[in-house]
Amino acid sequence: MAESIRHAGPGDPATSAAPHLRVRMSTSRMAWLASLSLLPAAAWGIVLFGLPALIVLVVSIASAAAAEAAATLPRGKVTLGDGSAFFTGLLVALLMPAGVPAYVPAAASAFGILVVKQSFGGLGRNWMNPAMGGVVFALLSWPGLLSQWAAPLGSAAANAAVPPLEALRAALAAPGPRDATPLAVLARAGYGFSGLDSAAVGWVNSHVLAPLGTRLQPGTLDVLIGHVAGGIGSTCAPLLLAGAAFLLTFGVIRWHLPVFYIGTFGLLAFVFGGLGTGQGWLAGGPLFQVLSGSLVLAAFYAAPDPVTSPLMNTGKCILGAALGVLTFFLRFFGSLGDGVAAAIVLGNCISPLLDRWMERRKVQELGQGVA
Amino acid sequence: MDTVSSRTREAPLVMLLLTLVPSIAVAVRVADALWLAAGAVLVMTGSSVARAILDGARPAGTPETGTPAADGPGEEDRTARWLRALVISSLLTAAFEAGLLAVAPAASAALGIYAPLLAVNLLVAGKGGPDPSGASPLRATLSSLRNGAWFAGGLVAIALAREVLGAGTITLFPVSGFGGTITLSPLLDQPVRALGFAGGGLLCLGYLVAAVRAVLARKGSAAPRAEASR
Amino acid sequence: MSWAAVVFTFALVDNVILSRLLGLETGDGARGGTRSVWLGGSIAVLMSVSAVAAWTLDSLLLVPLGLTMLRTPLLVFVVAGIALGFQALAARFLPAVLERSGVSIPRVGVNCVVLGLVLITTRAEYGALQSFLAGLAAGAGYLLASAMMGAIRERLEIEAVPPVLRGVPLQLITAGLMAYAFMAFDRGFLARLLGA
Repeated sequence: MAESIRHAGPGDPATSAAPHLRVRMSTSRMAWLASLSLLPAAAWGIVLFGLPALIVLVVSIASAAAAEAAATLPRGKVTLGDGSAFFTGLLVALLMPAGVPAYVPAAASAFGILVVKQSFGGLGRNWMNPAMGGVVFALLSWPGLLSQWAAPLGSAAANAAVPPLEALRAALAAPGPRDATPLAVLARAGYGFSGLDSAAVGWVNSHVLAPLGTRLQPGTLDVLIGHVAGGIGSTCAPLLLAGAAFLLTFGVIRWHLPVFYIGTFGLLAFVFGGLGTGQGWLAGGPLFQVLSGSLVLAAFYAAPDPVTSPLMNTGKCILGAALGVLTFFLRFFGSLGDGVAAAIVLGNCISPLLDRWMERRKVQELGQGVA
Repeated sequence: MDTVSSRTREAPLVMLLLTLVPSIAVAVRVADALWLAAGAVLVMTGSSVARAILDGARPAGTPETGTPAADGPGEEDRTARWLRALVISSLLTAAFEAGLLAVAPAASAALGIYAPLLAVNLLVAGKGGPDPSGASPLRATLSSLRNGAWFAGGLVAIALAREVLGAGTITLFPVSGFGGTITLSPLLDQPVRALGFAGGGLLCLGYLVAAVRAVLARKGSAAPRAEASR
Repeated sequence: MSWAAVVFTFALVDNVILSRLLGLETGDGARGGTRSVWLGGSIAVLMSVSAVAAWTLDSLLLVPLGLTMLRTPLLVFVVAGIALGFQALAARFLPAVLERSGVSIPRVGVNCVVLGLVLITTRAEYGALQSFLAGLAAGAGYLLASAMMGAIRERLEIEAVPPVLRGVPLQLITAGLMAYAFMAFDRGFLARLLGA
């Protein structure tokens, strides 16, 4: 994320040959900014999950830094100062369960830095997102370890260590009456939410919404603020969105990809999400789906990585939509967790092709314009 | 990028290692890799011996029957030679398959389509070494054995790495008293399973080729290093 | 297997390049763009025609006569013959195809992709139509994978790559990473998608 900026090079695209020149702007600022914007979510993760989360963070970042140093030292120039290795380590850690054995994030970060990034020439030359590549490697290697989550602080309930998404899947797999929304399904299945949530939701229901004839489902607050089991930094949407706003303001990322990603996914989840489980059309619980898993984190911090996302805004929108479609299918039918990491790396595969196709079209258009 | 790199010459060893690509699909267990390597050696050696004998039966330079002499080594000649190589190679492969099925049916099942694929896979491998045509059968045999050894070495090395790290075991052949599988307990607990998949094989081969290149470069060998220049 | 399952399996789940490791071209043969579309199309045609021919041979001759041991050589010749025929036909009627796919057809025709597919369909005892469809789907998968890899190769910057990794090793590493990505399409996914 934010490792460099690629620009179309000087010269008319109609006359210059592929590949276009890539101009790298000052990257230190961008990578460190991105890391900075993730700190609130990381801090929340440490609060929620305690020392294990801190250990994962430290190990992951240290591993990424060590890998980067090892790879760049022989070439004479150690590039730790640009902050991109730190960012990779941080992002990997935020996607991990808190209690995971240390070698998993270490391996994921090292793989991401050494294989996905440095083998291709380092900063700005990779085509796959290093953090996501490392996470996919870990998912394929240790699927069991990566589905053992930790219960957040303050949840004593029996199934508090199961993330809402997985609990929902389990509940829907069992036969029984079908409720309209995911939270209702979870409530019926006896999923435990925190005391704070019960208090807050109860208060809002009795004092604000009862006169209006509606009510909030128990669990709403927990899901909204991310007080649930999940990746260390991926549960708290508000903090992530705040960080994203920070990045957007500073121009580190553009809005097109994340918006199209989340929008497409939300729409598909809404329309089709309830079909497989007997809830019917337009009953997919889009808000719940968007807030579950690492979608928000990936949509703002991994997918719009300027190095691996399409050059043109149209391309970004298209890829965003494609990622939304992929995530939908992979989450609802796939086998690799919440579908996000797999979708991102698949998107990385098609992004250069998309770029090429759009360049071609542009060249054709320009050619017609000139003639 | 590859436009240029293709024209700079890779070391023959590197070219040979490239022919491993389909075969690394079975290089997940050492025993399977050993069987496939045995088949490869058989087909490679048999092919070049047969070629040497057949070529020896005709003076070098005589065109194949049926091609216009004026053409020299033209398109039809090439096609004919190619077909001949195919005949030899596929018959040898069929023989290997039959033998393997008789001796080790489990291995035969494990190798799946990759054993018969040796028939075409190794046509390119034979070109990795000095051209055996015109050489005596003995020299052809030695040359192919050498190529076969490198092929086998690469295949088994990759299988070893992938099995040890990816499954925590080393699968060999059951011999009296020894069940055939060595287990490495610390790794057996949570091995790096990703290495056992297709992607893992490709990554291992990629880094193996790089390592080979590095060693060759360090030895300052005569084979030119392949560096794409712009 | 249902048609949808066949197509999905051969194109994505067991992609010929990324899952079965057949037909991965390194060095010279490896280019993207329109070239890979023509090449992929030719290969798809070769594969589907060969698959049907193989089915014919297998079901009418080899199995009834119990000659499955001869399968390998005979299939090799079937595939080679079809490839040569394709080249002759194309040279006569559609020279543009040969030009644009750029590689000599016999070499491509008999490389592991076509033979591999034919072996898969005969061993799994697919019917004629199923084999044909499998060939087309595999060709589509081949096209997709090679187009993506070609596009990626174009944007790599060689000067920055460590010298030992330039060229072939990096192509292999790229393919490996892509293969990992494609593992998202697995049989479980297929089963849930089509069973749902």
